[in-house]
Amino acid sequence: MAEEKKTFVLTRFDPDKDEEPRLQSYEIPVQSDWKILDAINYIKDEVDGSVSHRWSCRMEVCGSCGMMVDGEPKLTCKTAVSDYGDTVKVEPLANFPIVRDLIVEFDGFMDKFKSVKPWVVRAKELAAEEGPMRQSPAELQAFKQFSMCINCMLCYASCPVVANEPHFLGPAAIALGHRYNMDSRDEGNAERNEIFRGEGTVFSCSYANECSEVCPKNVDPAAAVNQAKFNAVIDWAGSLVLPRGGK
Amino acid sequence: MAGPAHPRAMEPPKPGRTRTAPPQTPGSWPSHPRMRVYTLFGLTGILYLLVGFTSLRLVWALGEGPQRFHEVLASFGHPIYVAFHALTLAAVVFVGVRFLSLFPKAQPANIGPLKPPPRPIIHAMLYVVWITLTVVFAAILAGAIF
Repeated sequence: MAEEKKTFVLTRFDPDKDEEPRLQSYEIPVQSDWKILDAINYIKDEVDGSVSHRWSCRMEVCGSCGMMVDGEPKLTCKTAVSDYGDTVKVEPLANFPIVRDLIVEFDGFMDKFKSVKPWVVRAKELAAEEGPMRQSPAELQAFKQFSMCINCMLCYASCPVVANEPHFLGPAAIALGHRYNMDSRDEGNAERNEIFRGEGTVFSCSYANECSEVCPKNVDPAAAVNQAKFNAVIDWAGSLVLPRGGK
Repeated sequence: MAGPAHPRAMEPPKPGRTRTAPPQTPGSWPSHPRMRVYTLFGLTGILYLLVGFTSLRLVWALGEGPQRFHEVLASFGHPIYVAFHALTLAAVVFVGVRFLSLFPKAQPANIGPLKPPPRPIIHAMLYVVWITLTVVFAAILAGAIF
């Protein structure tokens, strides 16, 4: 493999020492087939062991290695070093508090994530002897795209509403809630639509569409959010005209 | 990074064990073409606000009598007002095109048993509806119909 040198400018932040994040440059030899994550791992292993970053699978599945690469949210295991110039800036995901170096605080996301009940809600669980809940390919197709989310948080890092409105549920959490609303086995639509009609949820989305632009798995969260808006309104209108609020 | 995000953006429900640095907005925002389009989309709101004030001025004049109303109406022929309305028309077309380009994918997969047509067809239908309504309203305002 051909080898050349590139400079990686990484965000460094040690909560025990640094008042605020700073930048540190590392010039390293890179190979033409490297991803950004390979370069950061090289820096960590060979140059500066104190650099902290998250990663796990290296195959675009775990969603751990999301970072800002030259200002854009990217999965660093998917982003080729060769797509960038001689100097590459790598920062922690935008719109999240920074814990250390390239690591951000995810608890805020996990809290929002849980609030949309991302599981199959059943009024009454089926007994084991009744067999599995069957689903046709067409029923699966209705939500499959939205179930491809790997919770990498790139959509949160790109969203201007997340940056300015702390209570906003955010693209991934809403997309996941919508995914379960579209699931034929689920009976939790009314509960989730009530959440979606609350403050800081689907109607806070101003349709910047950035979440869908940066999503590495083509989940299209902007479509999910805006479909959820539509469904939440239909559900509300139905509750006004149907007997017993449509329940 | 471009600048500070809201200091409480993506804040954990309870403080963590270590101090964190505040969230920042993406560095690509000021220069990225997509974000410029989005910012422009937001800025058109200023024009709509001004149109609202202009409409209120007209309604106010109507309350002061027909002569005052026609004076205000005549003032719209001033080059500054003509330029303002031309800019507003451009803003409306821009917002309309942006909305129609994003709207088809926001369609729910189905409402009851009904499924929407493919996105390109929805897209085309939206333009047909928009153009038809524009022509009908223009004809009404010009006195050609009704």
